[in-house]
Order: sequence, then structure tokens, then C-alpha cells
Amino acid sequence: MKWPKIFIWCSVWLAFMSACTQAQEKKERLMVVCTTGMLADAVQQITGPDAEVIALMGPGVDPHLYKATQGDLQKLQDADIIVYNGLHLEGKMSEVLEALSAHKTVIAASDGIDPSSLRMLGAKVSDPHIWFDVKLWSKAVAHLAKQLSQADTLHRADYLQRHQMYQRELLALDSLVRTSLSAIPPPQRVLITAHDAFGYFGAAYQMEVRGLQGLSTVSDYGLNDVTTLVDFIVERKINAIFTETSVSDKSIQAVLQGCNSKGHQVKLGGSLYSDAMGATGTPEGTYSGMVKKNVETIVNALL
Amino acid sequence: MHFSDFIIVFTASCIAITCALLGCFLVLRKMAMMGDAISHSVLPGIAIAYLLSNSRDSWVMLLGATAFGILTTLLIEQVHQRMRVQEDASIGLVFTAFFSIGVIIISAYAENIDLDQECVLYGEMVHLPLQSLYWGKQAIGPMAMYNAVVMLLLVLTAIVLAFRRLQVCTFDPGFAVSLGISVSVWHYLLMSLVSFTTVVSFEAVGAILVVAFLVVPSSAAFLLTQRLSHMLVLAALIALFSAVGGYYLAYWLDASIAGCMTCVAGLFFLVAFLSQRLLNKTIPLTKENTGTKAIGIN
Repeated sequence: MKWPKIFIWCSVWLAFMSACTQAQEKKERLMVVCTTGMLADAVQQITGPDAEVIALMGPGVDPHLYKATQGDLQKLQDADIIVYNGLHLEGKMSEVLEALSAHKTVIAASDGIDPSSLRMLGAKVSDPHIWFDVKLWSKAVAHLAKQLSQADTLHRADYLQRHQMYQRELLALDSLVRTSLSAIPPPQRVLITAHDAFGYFGAAYQMEVRGLQGLSTVSDYGLNDVTTLVDFIVERKINAIFTETSVSDKSIQAVLQGCNSKGHQVKLGGSLYSDAMGATGTPEGTYSGMVKKNVETIVNALL
Repeated sequence: MHFSDFIIVFTASCIAITCALLGCFLVLRKMAMMGDAISHSVLPGIAIAYLLSNSRDSWVMLLGATAFGILTTLLIEQVHQRMRVQEDASIGLVFTAFFSIGVIIISAYAENIDLDQECVLYGEMVHLPLQSLYWGKQAIGPMAMYNAVVMLLLVLTAIVLAFRRLQVCTFDPGFAVSLGISVSVWHYLLMSLVSFTTVVSFEAVGAILVVAFLVVPSSAAFLLTQRLSHMLVLAALIALFSAVGGYYLAYWLDASIAGCMTCVAGLFFLVAFLSQRLLNKTIPLTKENTGTKAIGIN
């Protein structure tokens, strides 16, 4: 092997690669980069046409399994404001963003929520799925509005006005969820899903929530979990159980078969949106559309 | 090239070269899957660190993971040497045991908590420029970048200073013993380096890159040369080109950076394999020639 030759090739390669970079474009509108679709929807409602809102995790992407792409770096660097959920929903990325707040406007939606209303899972660990209790979510949205209007004083009045309107919409949504679910008789008000993402939902709307899997999408379910859940369903004569869009429904199928083998007919109530919203452009592609769709699915299956 | 691109490519290149150099010894010792083993066996470390501290902060997780990473490699050596178990089998025995202990601890004590390597330990290259330290107003790159440089220098120094000893211990442990070299000390030293750099690199750039670069560049280099010194240099070059090329592939495809770097390394392996088959027909790929015997002590 001839060393000079190798070094020449090295330098040619590096020179070629460094020539491949692009010139940056200038942008006019405020750019807000959000981690989840739910956050992007809330921010878009507040900013309206005054900002460009981008979600890093697209429709159907589970935040626990999200993998960053090279382009995400450009988005995060170009962003004037970064919005994330917090409470470790984004895993290690939460820590990165928190540290970044020293140099950039970074907003954690969960900061708007009083720690006493958070569900604690461990001594210092709380449930990050704050969006299914509409009232709780509206507090996070209020925090976003406050922070956004501070960061973009030029559009402050517009932001606050749009936020007022959106708060009314969320309030109406909350009472809609309440009245829809109250049609289900109390003993039947049990929500059984694959993944424990509906803790706040259950607490807010008096639904008992049972999940097979732990909070992390990666942790496995134990043998006992399936048996206990099957016994519970048979005993309480539950009509339906649910799968989730962003989590595999393998585990819930095991429960389905277990119940059927015990002679209790339980049907698949449908698929619920849990960690991610539906495709953009569809009604389920917005936060309120997603909540309505979930409630509709639950009521239709359990009633 | 922007500074942020430079940070990613530079950090990844340093880690890739470090892994490729260590990988040469691992491949020759038939312990190439060490990286994968460590990536699994740090789980109990993470779980215990969480239970003791009640926190999922990076440095706590890193502490637990490093402890279990080193424990894993030491135990693998022990099992291999004391119990006379094959290298691959001892890797399999130890890491599955550790991983299952981790799963049991989490399901028993922290079932509802999002706790696994993926979400508390593994870093993401995209985020490296965002973690930059500041000298006054000037961004000077993340801590991970400096860690990577230090690790590369550490591994380079160790290999340069102890090249002969590592070589003899790798190819002919019996001969090394007869020369009065303490083979197990050198193996433990090498393995400690492997576990330490692996876990620290996991924290900086995630698992895929580390696991892949411990195996792929050194395997490709193994096909191309018969001398350990050439193998080390070739592996390092392949690692460097894969890291740089992979970054631009990721840029072009808007895809995962570690994934693209690994793919490019795989392409290099393919090229090495094909060129070895086409150009160098004098060494047929038979069983006798694929083992460590193909490389002699020079």
C-alpha cells in the first residue's frame, strides 16, 4: 500500500464532501418547531398564519420510538422557538432541549401544569401523556400562548385573541367528552387498551383504565398481566377492548383470545389514537378531531 | 461545511475510528459481538442507577451503564478463561443473563416508568450541535466531541505503545505466555478499553453506530490484508470514509445519520469482499483461510 496515494484519496474525498453543503435561505415568518403533532396543532391554533409550525414526529409516530433524521437538525437550528412536551416524553431529547433553553426560546408544555395535578408513577417520575384530559391540556395550551406571545411581541394581541377562542373550543370539547361518556353506564365504563397512555383521560372522565403494557412501549407484558386482565374482563362482562394506532396490537389480541376461550365474547372496539394524531388533512389530524374520534369509538363500542 | 455538520462528522469519525481499531482485536479474538452484548447488558445498570437515585439524568444513567459495561466484559473474559467456554458462547451467556436481570428489575420495581437504553442512555447524533458548550459567546462543540477525541487518543496510545504485546496475545496466547507476557492482563486491559469506549460512545451517538463500527470496518480490512498493522490502518480509513460518506447520504436522504453511516460501512465491506474475490484469486475463501491463521505475526 502506498501511503501518499491513500492520503491523496482522503483529501479528495473530504474536499468533495465539504463541497456538497447548501447555502441557507433567509426566512421571514417566525418558525416554531414542535416535537409532537398535538403540540404543533395547539401552536398553530394560537399563531394562525403568523408562524410556520413544524412537527418533528409525524402522524402515527410513537414518541418512544422516534428516530431523528439529518433534516431535523436543520429544523431545530432554524427554529426561532422550540416546543416540547416534557416530563420525559421525548426521552433523552427532553434533556437536550432543556439545556438548549439557555441559548434559545424553548418551551415545555408541561410546565404550564401544576405539579400537584400530575399523575405520579415513581417518586419523581410523572405520567407524560397529558393531552387526553382536555382541561389539563388547556392549561398546557395556555402556557404555550403566554410564552409564545412573550417571544413574539409583534403578534402578541393576535396570539392572545386566537388563544381565547381556542380555549372556548377546548372547554366545549371537554363538556362534549363528558356528556358523551356519561351515556355509558358506570359499571361498563372501563377502557382496556394495549398501552397505558390514558391515565389522565380515565382520571378526568371517571373511566377505569386498564392497560397491558407499562408506560414504555418497549417494556414487555408479563404472563400474569394477560391472565389478570382476562379474568377482570370476564368478571365485569366488558363488551369491548381497544387497540392503538401507534402501538402494535399483538398483546391485546392475546387478551381477546383468552376471553373467547373462557366463553366470554368480547369484541375489538376499534383503534384509539394515543401517542400520535391521524394523517394531516383528515379530521383526526387535529387535536380536537382526535379526541372526538376516540370518544366516538369508545362510546360506540361500550354502549 | 457548517460548524454543526463538522461537529457531527468529527465526533462520529473519532468514535468510528476508535471502534474500528478496537474492533480489529475483537474480530481476531472472535469477540466481534462484544458491542452488541454491552448494549444489552447495561440495562440492569440503568435500572439500578434509577432505583438508587430516583432520577433519569444522563450522568446517573451513564454511571450505572459504565459499571455494568465493564462488569460485562470482565465477566465474559472470566467465563471464557476459567470455565473454558468458547468466546461467542461466553458472550451469549453473560449478556443474556444481564439483560434478563435488567428486564426483571424493571418489571418488578419500575413497571410504569419509561426506562430503557433507548430513551435514557443512547444519544442522537442530530442533537450533538445543540448540546454545544460555549466559550463566552462562541459555540465550541459539545462535551461528547471532546470525550470522543480523548478516547481516540487513549486507544491510539494504548495500541501504539503495546502493539507487539497485543499482537502476540491476540494471535498466539500460548507463545505469549512462554515469553513471560501476562496474557490475561492484556486481555483485561483491552476489554476494559472496549467497554468504556462503547458505553461512553452509546451516550454520545447511540448504539447502532458503535455496534456496527466494532465489526464492519475491521472485517472489511481483514479481507484486504494479512498484516495486523495494515488491518488497523485500513479499518480506521474505512471507518473514517463511512462516517463522512454516511453523513452526506443522510443529508441527501433526510434519514437517520447513524443508519446511513452503518449502511456505507456495509457497502465498504461489500466492495472489500468483491475486490478480494475478483482481484486476489490466490487466496481462496476456504475455512482454513478465514480464521485467524490467515494473518501471521510479522
